Amino acid sequence: MIDAKNWLWDDIIYAEVAPPGVLSGPDTQNYPAQDDDRAASLYWGNFSSMTEETSITGSGGVLGKRKIGKKKSNNAKKKMKVFQGAGEKVKYDRKMKKLFRKRAKEYNSDDDDDDNAADKSFPNKNHGTYSERNGYGTRKLGADKLDEEPELSEGEDDDEDIEVLPAVTRFAEGCRAFRVAFKSIIKKSALDDVLGPILSGQKKLVAQKLAEEESEKKLRGEAKKEKLLIGEKGHIKPSNYLDSHEKFLIGVATKGVVKLFNAVSKAQSAQKGLNPASSKDEKVIKKRRKEAFFSALGTRAASSSDTSAKVVASGERMGSEPPSWAPLHDNYMLTSCKLKDWDKMQETPEDEDVGKSSHGSSSDDD
Amino acid sequence: MARFRDKKRKVFVKPIVQKKLGAVDHVTGDKIPKSFVFSRGKLPGPLRQLQMDLRKLMLPFTALNLKEKKRNSLKDFLNVAGPMGVTHFLMLSKTDASPYMKVARTPQGPTLTFKINKYSLASDVAQSQLRPRCPKDLFKNPPLIVLSGFGTGEQHLKLTTIMFQNIFPAIDVNTVKLSSCQRIVLLNYNKDTKLIDFRHYSIRLQPVGVSRRIRKFVQNHQIPDLRNLQDVSDFVTRAGYGSESEVDEEAATVTLVSNLGRTNKASSKSAVRLQEIGPRMTLQLVRVEEGLCTGGVIFSEYGYGAEKKLDKREDSQIEDSDHEEDEDDSDNADEMEEDTENGNDD
Repeated sequence: MIDAKNWLWDDIIYAEVAPPGVLSGPDTQNYPAQDDDRAASLYWGNFSSMTEETSITGSGGVLGKRKIGKKKSNNAKKKMKVFQGAGEKVKYDRKMKKLFRKRAKEYNSDDDDDDNAADKSFPNKNHGTYSERNGYGTRKLGADKLDEEPELSEGEDDDEDIEVLPAVTRFAEGCRAFRVAFKSIIKKSALDDVLGPILSGQKKLVAQKLAEEESEKKLRGEAKKEKLLIGEKGHIKPSNYLDSHEKFLIGVATKGVVKLFNAVSKAQSAQKGLNPASSKDEKVIKKRRKEAFFSALGTRAASSSDTSAKVVASGERMGSEPPSWAPLHDNYMLTSCKLKDWDKMQETPEDEDVGKSSHGSSSDDD
Repeated sequence: MARFRDKKRKVFVKPIVQKKLGAVDHVTGDKIPKSFVFSRGKLPGPLRQLQMDLRKLMLPFTALNLKEKKRNSLKDFLNVAGPMGVTHFLMLSKTDASPYMKVARTPQGPTLTFKINKYSLASDVAQSQLRPRCPKDLFKNPPLIVLSGFGTGEQHLKLTTIMFQNIFPAIDVNTVKLSSCQRIVLLNYNKDTKLIDFRHYSIRLQPVGVSRRIRKFVQNHQIPDLRNLQDVSDFVTRAGYGSESEVDEEAATVTLVSNLGRTNKASSKSAVRLQEIGPRMTLQLVRVEEGLCTGGVIFSEYGYGAEKKLDKREDSQIEDSDHEEDEDDSDNADEMEEDTENGNDD
């Protein structure tokens, strides 16, 4: 007979083949943590066996086809099992089968209610999972939990809903458990110092490296400071108040400026009335300039030794009187250039230097 | 036109008309001296500031934004200086001992090497003052120069005075406008310590004989507070206490030729008030050379003659110094020598 019941029946029988607890699957983490470890291992054992079976039968589109295929193989194996007598012989009635199926479904469900509801009509993949679930359900029963069955089987009328709910709660429970575990790990790692949750051996290495870096930084900082100090050498910040020396210097500068301005006012006020355009006035201007120049030279020779300001006449040189400064001589540098010319300059130490005329000669000095 | 949108939107920029600085002074007919201020080698922070301050000091006849690269040698500067009419170089450099400043006349002129014992930046000076003063067009005109204490008659001192006088353009007494004389550079030589004080001041004219309040009122156009006074005459005739610097004004009074602004009228007495701006340096003349960083040594502070210098130069040409050594082996030699000299003396 080929119907669902038989198929499940055969399934269940086949499930007994693998001894409990042998096969531990690698994918335990995908599934919510079960209270019963043994049940989990049994589930896994069944999983591997189930995969084998499905591969043997090939891809079956419709449940019916697979049933047929399975039936064949199961028939052959059924006899073998009976003869070998390995494992317990447990007889399951219809209710039990349903229970197994339900449990398998719960176990495999990923919290998707829709999938659970429309399970049977789905193509290949889901069928595979469906069969797996059944297998798991049987496995669990194959263990020592026969007591639970009647309880669960009672509330089986509303299949999908009740199946889903416990699945969801189980998943939620698993999540909660996982969360608790994760939190405890994090707490532990937070207690570690800066280095974090790492192995103690590496901790030492990292600590060493940090210490090295710190010492390097210190060295660099000191080197930088030294460099800065060298750069700042000679740089002083002036004080807020006026030093006596500063006051003296300001006084000297002021005297120079005053001299200059007085000379300017003298020269310019005399010129005020004259118009430079007219030729007649120009002669007067020229004359006045000459006089001013000579007088300036004369006064400079007698002026105080401290200050010398740069006041320049317009650069005309009058040849009648030999100027006191050697480069102003007409025959400067034309005669043999001996040191005695320098001596001549020394005779008039307090001279105000008549700057501009020297300009041409300084280039000759080279 | 989304496709051809050019990323650089060309904004209309009004061309800046720059006043061309003539090469020749109109009045005297002489060439206006121009200068380059640059550094030899990489300078630390404060010295770079000092270089900037010196550039501002030499305005307007200097290159304010002169860009120098590490690979530029003295020859490069010389090549540029010729066509541009630059007559003087001011070079800053640094060794472990102290910073140095060289003043040289191009193209073959003498070089004066000064050791900068102490210096303060313009920003330091401004911070130390209560009311720092920098009017807008302070640097539009060249400064005056005052040399003091150089009259002892020694050769190198004379050369120093000539050099510094020639760095700044001449002033014609007859035609100069007093409003254009706004800055002054002071070089004061101290015989005992052989140190030269370098200062930079701004000139301000204030009318004498006018009480402070009235002067401020006229200058600032701020209406005074007459709440507590009975009569305007109180405001005018009230004797306010003078500041400490006003005592010296007697010696500093000048009679102006022309009007300078509202406050300083012609033919009335005005006082000259100086306020320090700009860098402050204490220099020591270390060496005078004939050529531009080369040539025979005319004067050397530490007594090393010309012959010794020649010997040392050959030895130290191989060594590397802080400065780039493109084609200035002799210059490097100078620097090395200075180090050794200073090392010996210290």
